[in-house]
Amino acid sequence: MIQMILCGRGGQGIVFLTRLLGEIATKKGMAVISSETHGMAVRGGSINSHLKIGAFSSPLIRWGHADYLVSMDSSETFNNRHFLKQGGIVFENSLAPSASGVYRIDASGMARSLGKIQLENVVLLGFTASLADFEISLDDIKQRLDADSREMVRRYNLKALEAGANAALVHKT
Amino acid sequence: MSIITNDSSTLTKFLMGNEAIARGVMESGCAVATAYPGTPSSEVMESLTRWKRELNHSIYLEWSINEKVAFEVAYGASLAGSRSAVVMKMVGLNVASDPFMSAAYLGVRGGLVVIVADDPGPHSSQTEQDSRFFAWFAKVPVYDPSSPREALDMTIRAFDLSEKYQVPVVLRPCLRVCHARQNVTMNTPGDLVNVGKFEKNWTRWAATPKFRLALHGELNQKIHNISSQERDAQPRLVAGTPDSPMAIITSGSVSAHVKDVVASNPSLSDISVYKLDLPYPANQESVQEIVDSKTRTLVIEETYPVIEFQIRNRTKVLGRTSGHVPQQGELVPEVVESVISEFSGIRTEERLIPNIKARRPSLCPGCPHRPAFFMIRKLFEKAIYTGDIGCYTLGVNLGAVDTCLCMGASIGMASGFAQALTGKPDGNQIVATIGDSTFFHAGVPALINAVHTRANFVMVLMDNNITAMTGGQPTPATNFLADGSPAVPIDIEKLIRGCGVEFVEVVDPYDHGSLEDVLKRARAFSHEQRAGVSVVITRRPCIRTDSATVSGTKFQVGENCDRCMTCIRDLECPAIQFIKEDKKVRIDMDMCAGCGFCVEICPSQAITPWSI
Repeated sequence: MIQMILCGRGGQGIVFLTRLLGEIATKKGMAVISSETHGMAVRGGSINSHLKIGAFSSPLIRWGHADYLVSMDSSETFNNRHFLKQGGIVFENSLAPSASGVYRIDASGMARSLGKIQLENVVLLGFTASLADFEISLDDIKQRLDADSREMVRRYNLKALEAGANAALVHKT
Repeated sequence: MSIITNDSSTLTKFLMGNEAIARGVMESGCAVATAYPGTPSSEVMESLTRWKRELNHSIYLEWSINEKVAFEVAYGASLAGSRSAVVMKMVGLNVASDPFMSAAYLGVRGGLVVIVADDPGPHSSQTEQDSRFFAWFAKVPVYDPSSPREALDMTIRAFDLSEKYQVPVVLRPCLRVCHARQNVTMNTPGDLVNVGKFEKNWTRWAATPKFRLALHGELNQKIHNISSQERDAQPRLVAGTPDSPMAIITSGSVSAHVKDVVASNPSLSDISVYKLDLPYPANQESVQEIVDSKTRTLVIEETYPVIEFQIRNRTKVLGRTSGHVPQQGELVPEVVESVISEFSGIRTEERLIPNIKARRPSLCPGCPHRPAFFMIRKLFEKAIYTGDIGCYTLGVNLGAVDTCLCMGASIGMASGFAQALTGKPDGNQIVATIGDSTFFHAGVPALINAVHTRANFVMVLMDNNITAMTGGQPTPATNFLADGSPAVPIDIEKLIRGCGVEFVEVVDPYDHGSLEDVLKRARAFSHEQRAGVSVVITRRPCIRTDSATVSGTKFQVGENCDRCMTCIRDLECPAIQFIKEDKKVRIDMDMCAGCGFCVEICPSQAITPWSI
């Protein structure tokens, strides 16, 4: 049973990540339920998604119950930290150094150097999947992104995922 | 972990609630489906168009001009014998209420399912109204799904019920079903259902008041039969044990929160939790039996006390009428947990209280509405700005929207302001702003009314050639239909001239000089010459669409900047930021869309094209 909050600003690809993880979980035969933000908030406002893998009925995570908080933006981490359980882990797109329970990566910077700022979410995903302990592995994600029929999208996504995974290596020792 | 299926090759997909509903529509053999976009309902029609294409299916689909017309088209198809569906958000049902109320009396032929998405919170809406209550008001049965999976199943049951009793049936998903995703198993789309040829019978289909009385009696009988004979009208035990002294009666998306809350706490897990699939018309006897057999019963439902009001003897019932359930706001899991905690006397865990500084939504960088609002503010300094429903409600951020009531109200309200302020010494100027889709939806009658009654105001039609807020659906001005086939595009200028407007001008809002000139002339026409309504169409495609043209040039703030904040406060472009640490204004290259409007408005001419 995993409960994960994904957050950021509208336009940062939070819905894409949620859907991607949910689709992989579905393919692996796991019960999964999620909740997304749509509507006016996606015009640059605060966005969060809830993703729950396991026997849940509600798509919403209760305060203090999330295992992971995956954040595209440090001010959104602050807005969503009440969801995190004691000992829960944060994966954050930020220039700041990592700290206890908070793994940080400059996903925006890495995406920019890959040539597309829009890849920042996939960079953070590669980073998260390498460090988090849950049922979806980096390989699962790689397989899923590799199946994209749009060649350019496929190539860019795989590069971004790998960049994020490589950045995680320093935390793995 | 629970395993849904061992065979990953079956049609089990991670579907959004709205996709699941659309799938239910396809599987029911529905032949005609109509909709007007509105969060959280819009993805139902979008999914239908996708499946129609993928499956090469013959279902007829349309984005209608508004919900009233959408309902009437679906109703006509039902009388023709086809199964039909109409999709909208809850405030859309207000617009469609006239045909909806009447159709309940007349009844249907082919199954007619009215899919109305509610938005407790509200997250993207004007009200928190409960469409189940509206269904009750119309005496129409209503299904209340709790999950995407159940939404698919209930869509099919709704068609069956509608046809069996010849009455429209409402399917009311809340936002937490519409925008939830879950692994859902899909079946093959059904063959198109037709119950047979329309037979003329004016006492039924064109009933005069005398016959309406009899039809009302028939409707009452149908509702009585549904509540007493249908299994879905009876409460079903979904968690806990039947022998607990305490019961919770619930329905819809909030029932999912209830189930998770009681399941996560062993002290709560015995409570008998009952769910009503069909909260109206509930089988009142069965509900009363549960209430009478328990020491106390909590009713928790969203957003109004629909089940609660159907309980005849509520002395042992806690809920909204007793003040135990909040009267407003979404019943999120934390609220559900504290309500159940108080009801059961069992304390639940302490929680960290959130401290949220939510980012406000803004018009996108490069949005063509932004320069239009900026110029309106500049030229109509002390005007009253009546606004409307769409992305451009975000004109509030630029101080250029003072009112927002409902679809199309910018024009009607501008008339009201104009008439009330005429002749007043400090008579305000009035500028109404409205988008293209909203203008078609409900603005046209208001404009005719304003012209006819000689109101004086400037109307700015922000034409981005799409229904942007809800994700880019076509409007009557686009040359394609929901499924991509060719449409007859309606010419907006001709339409406005046809409404009797003498002053109609089209301008590109990126063109600073022309925009200023046209708005000045409109101001002279309506407010100096008092010659009637003037209409300025600011036309440029939505920046989020493929037809948007961006220059590719980025801009930077140079040393001339004296931090006057015009670009940040008055233009409110999210790409332009004030960096506190070094007290400098900076343009975020990742966000800048290259429209260059900031160059024109900077008093110090400090913004220049970016160069390495």
